[in-house]
Amino acid sequence: MKKLLMMLLVVVSVASCTVQKPLYSWYNYNATSYSYLKNANEASTQQLLESYQKIIEKQKGSRATVPPGVYADYGFLLLKLNKTTEGKSMLAKEMEIYPESKVFIERILKMLEK
Amino acid sequence: MKKIIVVFVIVALAISSCKVVEPVKKSVAYKGMYDQKPLAILIMPPINKSNNVDAKEYFHSTLNVPVCNAGYYTIPPFISMEILKKESAYDAEMFINNPVNKFGEIFGADVALFTIIHKWDKSALAAVVIIEVEYIFKSTSTGEILYQRKGLVNYDTSVQVQGGGLAGALIGMAASAINTAATKYVDVARACNAYTLIDIPAGKYNTKNGLDGEELAGQKEFTIRLGKNYTNVYY
Repeated sequence: MKKLLMMLLVVVSVASCTVQKPLYSWYNYNATSYSYLKNANEASTQQLLESYQKIIEKQKGSRATVPPGVYADYGFLLLKLNKTTEGKSMLAKEMEIYPESKVFIERILKMLEK
Repeated sequence: MKKIIVVFVIVALAISSCKVVEPVKKSVAYKGMYDQKPLAILIMPPINKSNNVDAKEYFHSTLNVPVCNAGYYTIPPFISMEILKKESAYDAEMFINNPVNKFGEIFGADVALFTIIHKWDKSALAAVVIIEVEYIFKSTSTGEILYQRKGLVNYDTSVQVQGGGLAGALIGMAASAINTAATKYVDVARACNAYTLIDIPAGKYNTKNGLDGEELAGQKEFTIRLGKNYTNVYY
């Protein structure tokens, strides 16, 4: 039995060596973002907020950085929920780590101010 | 005489079916990607030509992950949707054959990524979803197509049932039929995206950036059978 376990361990560790570690961890983002896109109700909003928080707090990807767009979309959702200060600080974080986001973030801020 | 003709036909068929496409290096197949070195990608709302009304959302919500994981900056989907709607540019059909430089100005995007869903059919009996999707990366500065792939994907949703015999097979068929109906189609779109986009040259945030030009590119048009296991792979 022990031998079998050892063999399994070896097989698993060898197999995992061949897979390139993804740049970012996304957890259940695909499911929650789809659900929000489709339903946009209270439950799906809450689940998407939780997804963003987990992606921001627990990055196990090889870059050890929050993936592109996550701070921005999280901030945008917070702004829509009237959490203005928190939302704007997230958008600022996006521009800080990804300067290429400045063009559209400034645009969305202007749009929301109107 | 008849025999000779039959043999001749068989040989001719064998030869014609062996049409081999010469493999090409990524630096040749996707030359524009290496020349222009795009960074920011704007995902356009998918163009749905299939009969499945929900297919557009399945693809729109699953495209940014593989593009980010390839090393690019992806304009976040919910902000981009809002801006596209406000700029009356939410209809991707209007732009696929027209200049896209306006997306460079509005978003700072180097590439507009178009997806066309040609087919989305499900067969409950065979437990397979058949999807045909085309991906087009169009440069916002030159209007050139930098990357284009079209795939016919057979996604197997069948459930493996242990235990043999006719009873086992029947249970398996019933379980698969239910599973197809309830399959998370998001997973289907995700597998299709991950497979088709695996060929994009690595972007700025990927350690392979600029080093993968010698790798061989996949075929521009392909047919593939994918199973549920494939969704475990992001990139």
